[in-house]
Amino acid sequence: MPESASEHLTTAAIEQRLLGFLLERTKIEWEVGQDLFDTGVVSSLLAMELVVFVEKTFDVAVEREDLALHNFRTVRAMTDLVLRLGKATDA
Amino acid sequence: MREDLSAIVTEAVGDAAGRWDLAGEIPLDLLRGLGGKGLLCPEIGTRFGGLGLTGRECGELTAHVGSLCSSLRSVMTSQEMGAWTIFRLGDRTQREHYLSRLTGGELVAVAFSEPDAGSDLSAMSTLIREDGDTLVVNGVKTWITASVYADLLVVFGRYGDGGAAVVVPATSPGVRRDPARSPLGCRAAGHATVTLDAVRVPRANLLGAAGQSLAMLTTIALTCGRLSVAWGCVGILRACLTAATAHARDRRQFGVPIARHQLVARHLAELYVAERTATLACERASDRWDEGSPDQFTDAVLAKLVASRAAAQGAATAVQVLASAGAQDGHVVARAYRDAKLMEIIEGSSEVSQLLLADRVMGAGR
Repeated sequence: MPESASEHLTTAAIEQRLLGFLLERTKIEWEVGQDLFDTGVVSSLLAMELVVFVEKTFDVAVEREDLALHNFRTVRAMTDLVLRLGKATDA
Repeated sequence: MREDLSAIVTEAVGDAAGRWDLAGEIPLDLLRGLGGKGLLCPEIGTRFGGLGLTGRECGELTAHVGSLCSSLRSVMTSQEMGAWTIFRLGDRTQREHYLSRLTGGELVAVAFSEPDAGSDLSAMSTLIREDGDTLVVNGVKTWITASVYADLLVVFGRYGDGGAAVVVPATSPGVRRDPARSPLGCRAAGHATVTLDAVRVPRANLLGAAGQSLAMLTTIALTCGRLSVAWGCVGILRACLTAATAHARDRRQFGVPIARHQLVARHLAELYVAERTATLACERASDRWDEGSPDQFTDAVLAKLVASRAAAQGAATAVQVLASAGAQDGHVVARAYRDAKLMEIIEGSSEVSQLLLADRVMGAGR
């Protein structure tokens, strides 16, 4: 098994990558705790872009119950998901 | 393109597409035969009995099918969407159980749209609820492609405070299928209204889990469908280009082949532009899909919009070039004209596609 990319990433580094992607897509700066979906800014397409961005960037698979909205609601939630899935890959 | 695979489809269709259009039906054993070779969902991997094509290879094959018969291509789109939904949302057991059936000759239809939930899928009212070890499904689904032929239905609906998809055997008690009468296009694609009246299925048929967003789930299936429809439109354009250039070479008026008339030549050039433009948009989108790029979702919308618009205009142009020679139901350009118009409507109308693209360029600003 290849080593998970997330193993080498700190929480801050993951958050930075996610914030950078969101800035590029939405043209606004987000806070790590800010709800992306409440504002109506984040469409279903962007929600799926986030899923695939997380999978591709951090070399994890987001499947089944992990593919839930609450895991993508904030940058902090996505970061937690990446750290958790990264550990699962190593196990 | 995998020539061996396209040759199998060419031989299976033969010269029957026009007759299927007039009859409004494709022989079921032919669909099962192609399905059993893995040709109706060719991206599904060999470990499930499939062909394991890349998205790009699958797209080229889809275009070939679309150039022969858009009704058959629509059945293929349904099979691809159903198989992809099961692959993406299902667990290992579900994948093995269902995908081997879908590469073994069984057929699947995917049910999103409802009488009051077309472009606005968030208005979906179909309800999936738990009752002990079983799930109970209630709802009405309209214009469900391939559902007349299907053994399995992948039904999207509300589940808890989110959404889910559930696999429903088409012969379950409480399932009724009323075929659409005289659809404008893709007449043999097996469209029907599917009514689910307290249909009970085992809990194990649920794809996904609680807490999922219906909008995200439908985006997964629709992205696959949009790519397939877009490639199907490329096929429509290739068939139109072939028919129009052959006719323009053979048909003589005012003492010369009509291709020598400048206004006809312009039609031929525009058809070529349409085919090339649609192909490039599809190739790009499929490459993003194969790379696992986040851009795949927007590029699929873009490809579907570009290709369906090009197909609708290109098919109208082809009818104009062939004129009375093509103005009969069942003829390849007459079918293309009717089929292409529907492609501007399904899997997200042109207008919905434009709104999605406007969101993309505006970011948070719209």
